[in-house]
Amino acid sequence: MHDPAMKQFLLFLDEKMALGKKFILKDLDDTHLFILEEVVKTLQERVGEKESSSFGPDSSASRS
Amino acid sequence: MKLRVQLQCKNLHEYLRELSPEVLDRLYDHPATCLAVYRDHDECVSVLAGLRLWHSQQLQGGLQGYILNPVFKDNLRIALLGGGKAWADEGSSLGPDRHARDILSLDRYAMERWEVILQFMVGSPGAAVSQDLALLLVQAGLMKSEAGEAPYITSAGFQFLLLDTASQLWYFTLQYLNTAQSRGMELVEILSFLFQLSFSTLGRDYSVEGMSDSLLTFLQHLREFGLVFQRKVREHPLPLCQTPLPPRKSRRYYPTRLAITLAAGVTSTSSTLATPGTGDAGFIVVETNYRLYAYTDSELQIALVALFSEMLYRFPNVVVAQVTRESVQQAIANGITAQQIIHFLRTRAHPVMLKQTPVLPPTITDQIRLWELERDRLTFTEGVLYNQFLSQVDFEVLRDRAQGLGCLVWQDVAHRVLVVSPQGHSEVKRFWKRQKSNT
Repeated sequence: MHDPAMKQFLLFLDEKMALGKKFILKDLDDTHLFILEEVVKTLQERVGEKESSSFGPDSSASRS
Repeated sequence: MKLRVQLQCKNLHEYLRELSPEVLDRLYDHPATCLAVYRDHDECVSVLAGLRLWHSQQLQGGLQGYILNPVFKDNLRIALLGGGKAWADEGSSLGPDRHARDILSLDRYAMERWEVILQFMVGSPGAAVSQDLALLLVQAGLMKSEAGEAPYITSAGFQFLLLDTASQLWYFTLQYLNTAQSRGMELVEILSFLFQLSFSTLGRDYSVEGMSDSLLTFLQHLREFGLVFQRKVREHPLPLCQTPLPPRKSRRYYPTRLAITLAAGVTSTSSTLATPGTGDAGFIVVETNYRLYAYTDSELQIALVALFSEMLYRFPNVVVAQVTRESVQQAIANGITAQQIIHFLRTRAHPVMLKQTPVLPPTITDQIRLWELERDRLTFTEGVLYNQFLSQVDFEVLRDRAQGLGCLVWQDVAHRVLVVSPQGHSEVKRFWKRQKSNT
């Protein structure tokens, strides 16, 4: 990860079992987590969803 | 997991340097090759030694000296001063060509052929190539094909599409040369012929007399790439013959501009080759509101723009698109980088855009890069975790071993935790077992 905020988000997902189960195997340091291999794809999707809800130039989805 | 294959575009002498010494020696038995290599010659001695031009030799007094490769020397002399046998039959034996092609139509032909290949890669309906060529694309890693289905493009293929024509040609030719031997063709023969082509005159026809079968096949492939032009000639059927004969290829061929500039290398040609479908001028306007206007009706260029933007409207001479987060990230997911998109836009910028500095609006280029970085906020690396070491020494010994093997991914000295790459794991584990049994 490049920023601690992203790490907090992942800790949040882990605690809330948002991916169906706990996936963090070990908290390594401020910018590294050791996680289960099988959740990689789902995790990337979730992060992508979060990004798109933040402010940015008009995308086709937000055009009325 | 971050999987990105970067296309590498090598040039002539890097390629030659990779060939085995025997192949190189045989290659120099042809004057055209020697001249082509000699032209690239403002290098230092080590490069020349790598190309086997100089042979290391002990001089009197024990000093290390160099002697010019004798085969190279003889043939270079022939090439520079004349003599020896003619490289190519200049077609004069066939008489003037009734269907002669001028330079303009040759250029157009070359561009058309090349564009068909690119369109096939993009998946445009109606673009069809021979099975040989489709196979070559798959072998080059630009396309992939499942059994029984039509081939589809790979991420390396996407990157390839956004390159300029000269780089594309060179990359493609290199792939072809690499697979030549597996197809039963003589590498030396076709390389020599390629160099010979690069010295031919644009607009002049040459005869196929004396060309071996291998070379004739090569010529057919060159025809498909748009590197040479050769007419199909229909034989007049003999009166007694019931079935019409298949069209035979003409005995003369015309090299196109693509072939002649090929051996000159990648960098020097980028200004002389036009982009297919557009002529020499740029045709894209990018506005600060993320709108993109492409003044073209070339299916290929439109397909390329559609790789990273959303099409909005289409008119006879212009296409309007929008660069969005989704479209850019989709392109990035396909293996294209932000830099490639920006390079594509910059090199095809409309003359109106070229008047401003910087050419592309910084808001757009920055945002494209930011969208790429967004995807990189999280990177995944596979690894195996080692922890619960009994002592600091144990930890350090294993850590050093992993580092020595180059498979150490991450470490935390204070907590005695380390992560090793999956490739290195079995070796590290073996080492650790040996350690434990020794102490």
